[in-house]
This record gives sequence, structure tokens and C-alpha cells, in this order.
Amino acid sequence: MDDYSENGIGALRLTRRSFIKGCTMAAAALGLSESMIPRLVSAATSPQRPPVVWLHFQECTGCSESLLRASHPDLGRLIFDLISLDYHETVMAAAGYQAEENLKNTIDKYDGKFLCVVEGAIPTKDGGVYCKIGGRTAMDILAEVAPRSAAVIAIGSCASFGGIQAAAPNPTGAVGVRDLVHGKPIINIPGCPPNPISFLGTVLHYLTWKKLPVTDNLGRPLFAYGRKIHDHCERRAHFDEGRFVEQFGDEGHRQGYCLYKVGCKGPATFSNCPAVRFNDVDQWPVSAGHGCCGCTEPGFWDTMTPFEERLPEITIPLGQGTVSTAASVGRTVMAVTAGAIGVHAAAGVVRRVTKGTAKKDEIREE
Amino acid sequence: MRYEFEKYRAFGALYRITHWVFAGSCIVLLFTGYYIYEPWFTTMLEIGYDDFTVANVRFMHFVAAYAFMGAVIARFYLWFFGNKQERITDALPVTKRNIKNFWGAILNYLYIKFHVPRLGHNALAGTTYLVTFLLSMVMIFSGFYLLFPESVQLQAWGGAIFGSQQTARFVHFILMFYFIFFAMVHIYIAIWNDVMFGEGVVSAIISGSKFLHLKRPKVD
Repeated sequence: MDDYSENGIGALRLTRRSFIKGCTMAAAALGLSESMIPRLVSAATSPQRPPVVWLHFQECTGCSESLLRASHPDLGRLIFDLISLDYHETVMAAAGYQAEENLKNTIDKYDGKFLCVVEGAIPTKDGGVYCKIGGRTAMDILAEVAPRSAAVIAIGSCASFGGIQAAAPNPTGAVGVRDLVHGKPIINIPGCPPNPISFLGTVLHYLTWKKLPVTDNLGRPLFAYGRKIHDHCERRAHFDEGRFVEQFGDEGHRQGYCLYKVGCKGPATFSNCPAVRFNDVDQWPVSAGHGCCGCTEPGFWDTMTPFEERLPEITIPLGQGTVSTAASVGRTVMAVTAGAIGVHAAAGVVRRVTKGTAKKDEIREE
Repeated sequence: MRYEFEKYRAFGALYRITHWVFAGSCIVLLFTGYYIYEPWFTTMLEIGYDDFTVANVRFMHFVAAYAFMGAVIARFYLWFFGNKQERITDALPVTKRNIKNFWGAILNYLYIKFHVPRLGHNALAGTTYLVTFLLSMVMIFSGFYLLFPESVQLQAWGGAIFGSQQTARFVHFILMFYFIFFAMVHIYIAIWNDVMFGEGVVSAIISGSKFLHLKRPKVD
């Protein structure tokens, strides 16, 4: 904000100070000591840094938007200055034939050297016709570009795991990059949207050491997705103490108590949100008073909904699509069990009344 | 009418201990587990008073879970190295004798045709225990997966099996109802057998001894 008011349009240029600040934030996110910052800076300014092809498929462009529209503009500008972006459908000036030509030239010129960033899921049903760019399906484009890249970064939950497109019943057969591309290093930066710092940290790590950061079994970098939100949440003390928000707007909510009982998915979600927060304004969903939605986990639209309940609702295959919570299914099971026991016991009593007490003789006769 | 019974040793000490560890730990696990799902008593009205309510309940759950796991391991051992009544081959419908006993037990519980009680478990009970053992393994594994979110190995294995922490939690929660179901049926059937056949099956899991009719036919 200060840059704009003091320097006017000149602030659109990234200052050295802002550049170093961005690299420092990324180093902190990566858990590196400050002595490593010069290495990050020199890697980020190296003229040999690889170009980036940014593919957009089935998505809302929210991931790009969250990078571009950070309230503090340095970070977004740093990312787009840092990487030599040769093809990005949302922000590139070229259009039509020229744009596709750029893509082809980059792939040919930097064969095996460029970074491929994928934003959005890839529909596979019916030959992948549900997402086409320049007359070609997303599957086609990915199959051509990804194998010739040095590494693939899937940004956002859609590119990582399919996202909302892949939610049941997944009408377009949407999948993430990992389901289609094999034999290339792939890193997932899930989130809806993911934190720009996590993306920046991954890119800087790659530029500095020429390899991708260590990941978990879902391909997420451990520096950003190595800990559960619940385990470093600022409201965790209220959870352990048993102080909960019972419903939105109640006294507990005003006191800033734990959001567990109104459906927070922090106990099931791996991300650095409580530590890094968003858009340089120290905010994230839980600090704003709503529970975590679990957006960095695979299939979160299916397993994390309803967002204001602890566990997912499940459909009972009886009646007319009765929807019930898991707990009430359990209570039904209990009631049926108790009923069955009652009937069984009653049958024994009836039998005794009608046939007398000849049981033990029967046994001896058998 | 006068009946004569013979007293037999049915279950060894370790077997009876595992039974009561199961009983105790399951009660703790079910109550604390449901509390972790729905923390219904809270310290809302005691601001500033630190009694660590949820943390303590979780602690009890984890301690009980380790006791439960120990009993599962001991029971697994007894399946292969216990006495005749405790062995897995005695109660699973894998032999001709047990297959016959399996259907006999069903007819017995339906009041259609009473079978002759045997010293060990009937094959229907044995099958149920096997299912319960397998579901216990799922509970133990999903529990560890949830308990150690930063263990790389557990996250890799758990992630491969359950997909995500949320799914594992859901499985862990749903299976809780099986254990409630099992406890209800188990207690009812045990008392029912005791009432119907007078073999002292309820006290057998305390004393280890069961009573069989002196003039029982040579079935079984």
C-alpha cells in the first residue's frame, strides 16, 4: 500500500527490498536459516532459470487470482517476475494462434528443461471432450506438454486431486495430474486456493537445488503440508480445555473458542495455514470464525461436507433417498439390535409358557 | 427334578484376563470415543479454570486403546497356543464337526432345535469373534493413523488404505457402533445360555470352569 501511495505507478516495478522480502518469506516457509537466503536470491535472479508453461484446465482460475490479487502486491509480482512465464492463458498478452505458437516454441526450445504448472482438473470421460482449448482436449495438451517438461507442479486441489469437478458423481471423469502423468516428478500444492507462499517456496526450492522438496505420500511438500492444522491452531488450547463454539454467534463464538463442534476439519487436514496465513494480513478461515473446510485433502468435497458437521452425512439406501447423519444411522442400529434382543427373549418366554419347562429333558434326548 | 453335572476346566487364566481387559477397555473406549466425537460436557461456564477436559478424555481413550491392543495380541496368541477351547480351530466352521455345530447354533438360538452345549464356544460365536478380531485390527490401525499424523510411515500406509484422515476418522467412528452392537448381543447371549442350559457359562469367564450334563448324549 505504501509503495503505491509514495511511488505511484512506479511501484509496479518490483523493488530489490520487496524481492529480498519475498525470498525471506519463502525461506521461512521452507524452514531454512537466513544464511540460505542469498542462495535463494541468486538462484531466483539467475538468467538460466527455467521457463514456465502454465496450463489451465477445468478450474475457476482462483489459484492464479489468489497469487495475483494478494493484498500486499509484492508476493504475486515476485512469483511472476521470478519465473519466466512463457505461457499462461489468463495473464499472457498473446491470443489465439499466436498464443498456441508460444506454447509450441517453448516446448521445442526448452525440451526437458521447462517447468509445467497445471491449474485445474483434467476430464477423462468421453475422450476428455469436457474441456477443450484451441480445439484440443485437456488430456491431449497435458499428454503432449507434461512428458517434455523437467517437472510438473499441480497447483490447487483440482490439479492435485480433481477438486470439485471430481466430487461424486464426477460427471466428467475429472482426475488430477498424478492420475495421468507418470515418470515425471510431480508435486502437489493443494488448497482452494493454496497459499502463494507454499507455491513460491516450492519454485524457489527447485530453482536453488534443482530438485523438488520432500513430499508426503500424496505428493505434497512436507514443509507446507507436514503438520495437521489442528496441531498448530491458535484455538487448540480451547479444544484441550473443552471450550467450544456450540453454534455460530453464541457466547463461545464471541469468545473465540474452538470450532470443533461446528464442523472444523482441522483435525483431519494437513496444511501450514495457521502458521503462514493468507495474503499478508494474518488471516485464515479459523481466525475469521469459521472452521477449516479441509480443502488440502483429497476428495474434500465428498468427505468433508457438510462443512458445519464433524463427519460426513451418509445416504441410507432405503426409503426415498433419506439422508441421515452417521450418528443417527448408528442409533438406528442400536434400536434394531435392542428390538431383536427383545423379540428373541420374548419368544423364549412364550415358548416356556406354551411348552412348559421340559427343556433339559429335550437336551438329554438329543 | 434333579440334574447332575460334571465340572470341567474350560478357559485358562490368560484367556479370562484378556476377556476382562476387553470388557473394561471397550467400556472406556466407547464412552471416551463418543465424547471425542461429540464433547457434550464442557468447561464453557468455567472460564479461566484449567481442568484440561478434552485432553484428559483423549488421554483415557489412548491408554484404554493400548490396553485393548495388548488384549488383542494376547488373544491372537491364544488362538494358536491356548488350550483346546481357546484355539481358533476349535470354533471356526472349517471342520466338519464345526460346520455342523455352526448351523446347530443358529437353530438353537432360533428356538427350533436345542443343541448340546460344548465345552468351548460354538462355531457361530467363534466366527463372530474372528470378525470382531478383524474389525479390531481396523480400529487399531485407523487409531494409530489418527494418533500419529507426523509419522511418515504411518501416513503412507494409512493414506494408502483410508485415503485421508477424515475417511479414517469416519471408519473409526462407524465401527464403534459394531462394538456397541457386539457388546449388547454378547451379554444377552451369554445370559441366555446360562438361563437355558445351566452350564454356568457366565461364571466360567470368571472361574474358568463350566458344567456339562452328566448324562449328555455323545454328540459334539
